[in-house]
Amino acid sequence: MSGAAVSAAGAPEARPAAHSWREAPIQYGTALLTLVLVAAPLLPVLYQSVVDRPLYDAGKELTLANFARLASTEGFGLVLWNTFVFSALTTVIAQVLGTLAAVLFGRTDMPAARVLGELFLWPIYLSALVLSFGWYTVYGPSGYLTMLWNSVFEAPFWDLYTLPGMAAIAGVSLAPVAYIYCMSSATITDPSLEEAARVSGAGTFRTLWRITLPLLMPAIAYSAVLNFTVSLELLAIPLVFGEPAGITVLTTFLYTQGVAGVRPDHGLAATAAALMLAVVCFLVWLQGRLLGNTRRFVTLGGKATRPRPFRLGRLRWPLFIICALYIAATVLAPIGVLVIRAFASFLSPMVPLLEVLSLENFTQLFEEPIYARAVWNSFVVSAVGGAIATALIAMIAVIVHRSEFRFREPLHYVALFPRAVPGVVAGVGFFYAIALMPGLGEIRNTIWILVIAFTMRYIPTGFGAVAPMLMQVSPDLDRAARVQGADWWTTCRRIILPLMRPALVACYTILFISFFKEYTTAIFLFAPGSEVIGTALLHLWIQGEAGLVAALAAIQVGVIAVCVAAARAVFGVRLHG
Amino acid sequence: MAELVIENLTKRFGEVVAVDSVSIHVADGEFVTLLGPSGCGKSTTLAAVAGLDRPDGGRISVGGTVYFDERTGTFLPPEARNCGLVFQSYALWPHMTVFDNVVFPLTLRKVPSAERKRRVEEVLALVEMEPYADRYPHQLSGGQQQRVALARTLVYRPEILLLDEPLSNLDAKLRDRARTWLAELRTRLGLTTIYVTHDQIEALSLSDRIVVMNGGRIAQIGTPQDIYERPADPFVADFIGTTNFLPGRVVGAPDGGQALIELEDGQRVAVQVERRTAAPGSRVTLAYRPEQIGVVAEGEAAPDGAGSVVTARVISRAYVGGRWQVGLDLGGGPLRLETARPPSGEQVRLWLPAAGGILFQGSTDVSSE
Repeated sequence: MSGAAVSAAGAPEARPAAHSWREAPIQYGTALLTLVLVAAPLLPVLYQSVVDRPLYDAGKELTLANFARLASTEGFGLVLWNTFVFSALTTVIAQVLGTLAAVLFGRTDMPAARVLGELFLWPIYLSALVLSFGWYTVYGPSGYLTMLWNSVFEAPFWDLYTLPGMAAIAGVSLAPVAYIYCMSSATITDPSLEEAARVSGAGTFRTLWRITLPLLMPAIAYSAVLNFTVSLELLAIPLVFGEPAGITVLTTFLYTQGVAGVRPDHGLAATAAALMLAVVCFLVWLQGRLLGNTRRFVTLGGKATRPRPFRLGRLRWPLFIICALYIAATVLAPIGVLVIRAFASFLSPMVPLLEVLSLENFTQLFEEPIYARAVWNSFVVSAVGGAIATALIAMIAVIVHRSEFRFREPLHYVALFPRAVPGVVAGVGFFYAIALMPGLGEIRNTIWILVIAFTMRYIPTGFGAVAPMLMQVSPDLDRAARVQGADWWTTCRRIILPLMRPALVACYTILFISFFKEYTTAIFLFAPGSEVIGTALLHLWIQGEAGLVAALAAIQVGVIAVCVAAARAVFGVRLHG
Repeated sequence: MAELVIENLTKRFGEVVAVDSVSIHVADGEFVTLLGPSGCGKSTTLAAVAGLDRPDGGRISVGGTVYFDERTGTFLPPEARNCGLVFQSYALWPHMTVFDNVVFPLTLRKVPSAERKRRVEEVLALVEMEPYADRYPHQLSGGQQQRVALARTLVYRPEILLLDEPLSNLDAKLRDRARTWLAELRTRLGLTTIYVTHDQIEALSLSDRIVVMNGGRIAQIGTPQDIYERPADPFVADFIGTTNFLPGRVVGAPDGGQALIELEDGQRVAVQVERRTAAPGSRVTLAYRPEQIGVVAEGEAAPDGAGSVVTARVISRAYVGGRWQVGLDLGGGPLRLETARPPSGEQVRLWLPAAGGILFQGSTDVSSE
């Protein structure tokens, strides 16, 4: 024992080798990369909006003429009006459905509430493009249910090729967002507030109306702004249903003016994009303000106790049937019928399903090299791109939250800025950036431009998955490593990043799914050879290949379902402690 | 091992001055405790020595190495200081075993692997944690985690050892054992040590010297005996041990090293005054440790020696196991003491030895609670 003591107190060790010089290049490098990535699509858009001819032409002159031209473009007023009506209607539908679902599935004794709640969330995992095709297959003019309806009644009461029709699809697919916010607000609200109301004699529905709902108001308001922003940026639904009916919104205007038109008008497109950017920036700022208020509202009790559910009484089963029908009509039918369509040569209520079952769609799909390549590209972009993006996001997170980097606050701001950049604007922006930068021409026709653009788009999403966990890791753990002689980078590598492993896995999964279903940015950027599933879907759609569309969509649905299930299993496993 | 010199250390957090021009000289091998209530600046001082926070002013050096000097702009990052710091939370890395935790600083120092293994075993033996090398931190008790944290710090032979309330997360019984163990260990190691705590018993029993801090400043530096028996001001007297404060007024000039104090209710108490001068008529505060106050039974004579007998009213009595805690009112001020037998009547007579009282200038708002 005494020998050990002498040794432990012996001559001090040589100091550890100093590596402090590594810190600055890593931190400045990451910050610069992030800045370039975020600025790359924005600067060209803003620049193009104030010059008089395409970016790649010589002799450009600064001008504000584009703005005047946009204002006087025939029908642009109608485009703005359509956009507003579509977004507003979508938001109202999403908020009403989401709030009702949160109360019914989260706070009452409805049978199978958990299962219904899970199913209610499904649309959020899928791309709006796939959902649109699903709805088309069921409720379109020659859709399964439409034909069934026609055989019994006169014409159906629905028409997807209208603003309310489009808003219904969008509203159903965005309702999960409102649901999630209301649920998380409900679980952290002090249940004694409701119990107090009941003890003082308020009935179930009065308590719901006077206490529960008002307490949810901040969550509803915040998710309303969020959903309004998302519906402004939606491209798929207006493209699939609006364009054929001549209903143009801002995103489809950008798409037709920016890339798809015969003679794209870049000045007009860029100006519209700049306008959209400004509006969305304002909305994101509003979200931030509301979130500040929400926090002030919601963290009242903070105990994670599960409040006693409300008794529905006699309405229990009737309400259950209504909810089950809703889930069947809006979630199961569009997804299910689309998948069945993939395995059928033809789908009609008049023809027995067994007679038309076949794998023909898939064989045909993979015989075409373009579509096989699109599936492969999607996998590569998601798997490799997701990994690259996760690495970048991890670096940004440790610099922002775990370093003394001078510009960590600006870096934080820049990293979160893509929230305010709609996918179509990012698409247009990167499209211009390639045209503008001579060096970028090399990656123009490869999937790497998609990896770059997707990474930029999803930095905030990944950051949101990583940062909360990082902030839960006690700073003492990295301080201990620093005091013992590890420099900042060694501390990150050996202590912080290993501890963040569950968060990084979560981030990677979320990015993989997001990249896999992304199409908005891609349709501005893909070239022959760099198609992904989203762009191939649109391509097939335009050709009217309903069976192939369904097959490709089914592949996307299947892969995402496997990922979500795997992620659930992985997140169940916790790291030590 | 080296001496630590802190000169005029200042640290601000926004408007708040957390550490205000603090100077401490810790000799080679000395064990010095920073003691004070939470927010007094003791942990901030420790963090400044370890390099976790950059101070706003002053100078810190260990041995011949300048850690921080505001004037020359020197600031060594924590990894270049070779300090050992044991955190209040232990900060064991949850994804590494005990062995991996302890070997980490040696890996950083590129110690050859055979020697690494030997030294980890040695230091784990020192803290009696050898059998637990393959465990993960969450499989250990609080006391065991604390030993591992200490081992992880000792294994690389730091120049100075910094301990930030290492015992505060242990329950009371374990804390007593750990304190005894730590006391043995410190005599064996002889490392220059700064120990931060708000627990006076830890401070008194472990330290060579104690630095009592209050509001970012040093209230008193001295040996445990100094601090306890000759507190520099009412704050120190109140913070270390239980102290009864009696407000009063000096009557008559100090005579023969004694001053006569009149309490609020007119009773008079004689106290020994050393260097402190007590001008007649000035307001003063008398401080007594509970163990210095004796109870004189009815009809019994006062003990021999200089002192005064006063009468106090009994307010409360509580049996606390083996002894009685008695709350008294003396001249309008509260007084607490412990006795073997409960006071029988409404009044008790108290013996205040002249040598036991400490005289502070002015009235003070420090209550004995």
